[in-house]
Amino acid sequence: MNKLNRKAMFLFFIMISTVFISGCWSQKELNELAIISAMAIDKNEDGKYVKTIQFVNPGNVAGGLQGGGGGQGPAVTVYTATGDTILEAHINASAKVSRRLYHAHANLLVISEEVAREEGIDGIIDAFERDPEVRTESKIVIARDAKAGDIVKSLTSIDKVPSEKVNKTLLVTERARGENIVVSIQDFISVSASLGREPVISGFRIKGEPEKGKKMENVQQSELDATLEASGLAVFKEEKLIDWYEGDLAKGTMWILDKIQQTDVKVSWKGKKNAVVYNVIRQKTNVSADTKNTYPEMTIHVRAEGDIRELTTPVDITDPAVISDLEKEIEKEIKKQLEKAVTRTQKNNSDIFGFGEVVHRTDPEKWKKMKRDWDDEYFPYVNVNVKVDAFIRRTGLRTNSFHSNTEK
Amino acid sequence: MEKAKISAYQLFVLIVLFELGSAMLIPLAIEAKQDAWLAILIGMAAGFCLFLVYYSLYAYYPDTPPTDYAQKIMGTVLGRMIAFLYVLYFVYLSARVVRDFGEMLVIVFYPETPLFIMNALMVLVAVYTVRKGIEVLARTGELLFVLVSLLAISGLFLIVVAGIIEISNLQPVLEEGMKPVIKTAFTQTLYFPFGEIVVFMMILPYLNQPKKAKRTGLLALGISGVTLALIMALNTSVLGVATVERSLFPLLSTIQAIEVAGFLERLDVSFMVASVIGGFFKITLFFYVSVAGTASLFKIKEPTQLAYPLGVVILLLSMMIASNFTEHLQEGVDIVPLYVHFPFQVMIPVILLIIAFFKKGKQNDQAINK
Repeated sequence: MNKLNRKAMFLFFIMISTVFISGCWSQKELNELAIISAMAIDKNEDGKYVKTIQFVNPGNVAGGLQGGGGGQGPAVTVYTATGDTILEAHINASAKVSRRLYHAHANLLVISEEVAREEGIDGIIDAFERDPEVRTESKIVIARDAKAGDIVKSLTSIDKVPSEKVNKTLLVTERARGENIVVSIQDFISVSASLGREPVISGFRIKGEPEKGKKMENVQQSELDATLEASGLAVFKEEKLIDWYEGDLAKGTMWILDKIQQTDVKVSWKGKKNAVVYNVIRQKTNVSADTKNTYPEMTIHVRAEGDIRELTTPVDITDPAVISDLEKEIEKEIKKQLEKAVTRTQKNNSDIFGFGEVVHRTDPEKWKKMKRDWDDEYFPYVNVNVKVDAFIRRTGLRTNSFHSNTEK
Repeated sequence: MEKAKISAYQLFVLIVLFELGSAMLIPLAIEAKQDAWLAILIGMAAGFCLFLVYYSLYAYYPDTPPTDYAQKIMGTVLGRMIAFLYVLYFVYLSARVVRDFGEMLVIVFYPETPLFIMNALMVLVAVYTVRKGIEVLARTGELLFVLVSLLAISGLFLIVVAGIIEISNLQPVLEEGMKPVIKTAFTQTLYFPFGEIVVFMMILPYLNQPKKAKRTGLLALGISGVTLALIMALNTSVLGVATVERSLFPLLSTIQAIEVAGFLERLDVSFMVASVIGGFFKITLFFYVSVAGTASLFKIKEPTQLAYPLGVVILLLSMMIASNFTEHLQEGVDIVPLYVHFPFQVMIPVILLIIAFFKKGKQNDQAINK
């Protein structure tokens, strides 16, 4: 009897524990969640934050290509809400959404240029960093010449979820062109918190008409009415946006930040512009500081390797002497880009290159005196030497260009 | 003392899991900024000395727990007082660790679950384990140590592969000279986590090969010290000092930063598994020695009977010791090391050792080797 009792008790406890330890305390089924894919922050005329939240419509994302499944509606739905703080706007959004807002899959935060220029973005970021549900690996971009809300409202093709499209575009263009940088919330915070460095964030703009971008018709044509496009680097100083870098300036900045993976360098040959296009395959940039004098002296050393990928004029690239001359031209061109970026940045008094951090590492003692007014008192007067070593390794499948033959 | 024996390997595993327990979660030694790893290593070296003190006491009395030999050394009255204080100390630390882990789980993973439930569940598991005795705990340790090691190795591998390490974040080394590093080592890391090995004074008598105690203890301390230093170096190099300083659980942020091949990401769960395992051992070991100490002090025949009442005490204490997490952390950094750890980890053991030396003379290893 006693034995039976014990068995019964044991069974009873096992059954009870299925209720208590299965972790259903705050269980949420998938159909109770509204999965956020991107968020955008604007400000309205009353000075309140406008938070635009992009939700994934799971049924409409899946399977266009696999046949069936994919619904007719747009892949995302967007709601906006206002509030004095980010959190308030977020909570207010719940009045419009039938499900619990679920952050863990959000991977994009868009901030409007206006907000970034006028009040800076440090105040916005804290709410995102503090919340354990938000991923600090989410990427940040600045909406350029557009409302941040419009960026997340635009429908996109190929990648149907716009936040995916923005993230992937950033990643691809950072790799291939090197004028944009992928910055996550975490990256932004760690740079922003450092005294010896100021952040840069990529810009995104809408090419076309934002109003048409919201309609399904936008993605039902070969050329979209509104396309999201990576555009420029937003330069910050003391948490506020102060400048946009594009083209050579952006590239020069990316070189110094050692973020270039691949990019093209056009050089002229015998007076002809853009005669040779050099494609960088890999590079390494080192920045070092010499702190003997009052103003530190920085040396940027670039070592690039790459191929010749395009000849617009006949150049005899079978001749090693020509190759080494070309290398010199390429070095000059890269050096020009870097110097351009340095000059402009020193004018901006904003050390986006992290020279301050290098000085800090090299000479901690001197840095202590400089760190408080590094950006305004020291950084603009730093002497910067640029040294570039470029190597042409290969020339593609062909040696000389076919127009070498037609020349005669 | 229960009749149980553990092997040297089991002791090793218990020490490592215990040392890593809560220390790997927090920004350990961050007062030393980017030199935190160095402060940890120095703390570890000093921890070796402390362990040798405990070991020497053990060598004098290889078969009795300190709650007993304190009475032999200091006389019954004073010895009992000391033993009682030690029991309180262990109970308090156990409650602190319960609180640490309860808060961690609530902050990171279960924001809507009350802290009490978290703490109660953990204490419940600890009570169950303590009732089963030290041998079961040691075997559990052997099993879970493999899991934790696998997580650690794969975690390290993924962090390296993800390419998120910025060695320059660790520079400049010794920016402010040695002073802040030494200060951090001797005001923080020495006591937490290395000095906490004092609980193993109560576990050492269970060792089946007393000869191996010294080597095992030092090796385990060394491995956990190097691991902790590596963890802090990784945290700093991945996140930067500024972020680590502001993080409650920097290791979590480091793991979240891993993104490999587009799908090996959001590995938070491995952090949770490793930390809960470590926390379980830390709580249970503190809890176990509280029970064992109480039993030997009050001559209770069945120590396991104490598990439930002491469990309730620890649970309630864990809820009461601080009204919010900020207060709990502040106590842990400012008050506990100096006013609680220092007397119990350094002062009392050293005094006991000196008196024991005069009483028993230089017979150190003989007792063990005979």
